[in-house]
Amino acid sequence: MERGYWIRSKPVYTSLLWHEKATSHLVVAQSQGGMAVLKLFQLMHPKQAITVLYMPHAEADYSKTLIKVVPDGLQLLETEQEVLAKLDSVLHGMCMGMRLYIAGSEDFMWSVAKVANKFGIEDAGMMKELTGTLARPIYCVHCKATTHGVTTNIGECSGCGRMLFVRDHFSRKLGAYMGLMIDAESPGELPDIEEIYP
Amino acid sequence: MALAFKQETFRNDYQYSNSPNAIKRFPFPFAEDQYMYSVNIEPHIKGKQGTVCEFPFDVDEHYVGECLDKQITLDLDRGRYKTLPHMMDAQWDFVELTMEALSNDYPEHFSLIKDGLNWTWENKPLNIKQSFVFGDASTMPMDPFEFMSRQVQGDFVLLDQRDETLYADGGFVTSQADWSLAFDVGMSWREWHAPVPRATELGVMDRALKYLLNLQLGSPVRRLNWTMTVNPRLDTSPENYPLWGTDRNTVNPENVADKVHLRVELQSLFRLPRSNAIVFSIRCYLMSLKELSSYPRWAKRLHRVQKTMHPDLIEYKGMTKFHPMMVEWLSKFDDGAAMDLGTHPE
Repeated sequence: MERGYWIRSKPVYTSLLWHEKATSHLVVAQSQGGMAVLKLFQLMHPKQAITVLYMPHAEADYSKTLIKVVPDGLQLLETEQEVLAKLDSVLHGMCMGMRLYIAGSEDFMWSVAKVANKFGIEDAGMMKELTGTLARPIYCVHCKATTHGVTTNIGECSGCGRMLFVRDHFSRKLGAYMGLMIDAESPGELPDIEEIYP
Repeated sequence: MALAFKQETFRNDYQYSNSPNAIKRFPFPFAEDQYMYSVNIEPHIKGKQGTVCEFPFDVDEHYVGECLDKQITLDLDRGRYKTLPHMMDAQWDFVELTMEALSNDYPEHFSLIKDGLNWTWENKPLNIKQSFVFGDASTMPMDPFEFMSRQVQGDFVLLDQRDETLYADGGFVTSQADWSLAFDVGMSWREWHAPVPRATELGVMDRALKYLLNLQLGSPVRRLNWTMTVNPRLDTSPENYPLWGTDRNTVNPENVADKVHLRVELQSLFRLPRSNAIVFSIRCYLMSLKELSSYPRWAKRLHRVQKTMHPDLIEYKGMTKFHPMMVEWLSKFDDGAAMDLGTHPE
């Protein structure tokens, strides 16, 4: 990759940190993101109300420790759909001043963000920590489908089957990188497919 | 003087050409022998009679053909029109701006009758007549912004101003040079300009943003942007890249002057009164190298500009495959003698 290259619209993810002046805290995490949640609680156990939604995964399951660290307010969920449905219902009862923290894969974080957007929570109002994998969600600009968890430089679109490369562009609204057909100009000519986002 | 609208197509058989007058008034963008990005923004003031800047919105011989092409593109992909819900005031601002401008500047083609909030709009070239209550979207056959975007040449983006930046929170985009409204909608200024190479390093985008945040009502601004396109195709969208991408392989030394077109965008920005949003108008002009060379001064200038083009820009503007052929064809117009500054054709 060329030196000095970066995707300028790509979000910068940081480590989760408590907003001390929040009125309540909502933490949503998946798989390896459980470690990010534990790091948060190692820093401090806030006075305000806390809700933690956690989805363990076969590869990483921190639920046992989390149950001990967050005895009340923790809810364990099995699938992403369950997390998002629970999040939706929890957000219905939330008041101004609530802070949202998200930890997990890029796919997961932006799925959560999309639900939060519906409640008027803007991107700047959510803290995100990328954990576990660099796999990317890719939006096919041709058929508008999003392919999740792409670990390679070029990926097959789950919607139309075209081979997509990522243009240097990320949309927070779609929660995905922009994918373009790689062989539109020379059909069938594909470069080597390599796993560079494990 | 009434315009003679041509029957044209911007896809498939490409029935498109410029009359001698359209060539003469073409907004040729190169005043110097070299090109690099700059914040080339100037007041969008009334230009000389007959020029593309005579009026806020230029209507020319391609009007009917372009409006039909817009409709085709939108029918094939509704994603080319999108506004976020908080942009309704800006939509009406846009209706007022365009209806007033067109009916004032081209009264033989457009008329607007106001009786309080009861307005009647007539567009003779497209055979549209619509009475509605200004501000009441239920009296329009579609979103007000969509209604008028269909009737003015070019693309339109509504920019909402907040958090010290501009958000692309609405748009009608059917003739774009390879960017996607469906992907970019809702993005901030810095986000949507992310793929433009070198511009960030030059500080161009930050300076332009600073300028635009202070844009005043009644004092619109404009700039020219350009690229080269194979075939007179308006819809060079990323969405349809699989349809037009292979066109770049069809250029050869024999057809280069007919196939390759200089594509100039007259970009203008207007502050809107109710919403405090900005409408960004991107009007596209297309002219083949052959048409351009009817003014040898332009061909000579374009040769120098292209010959010294930064490699990143050749790549970004999608010219890699035909760039050497284009430079070779243009070289015959270049005698090597020094040229005065300026974009004038003769």
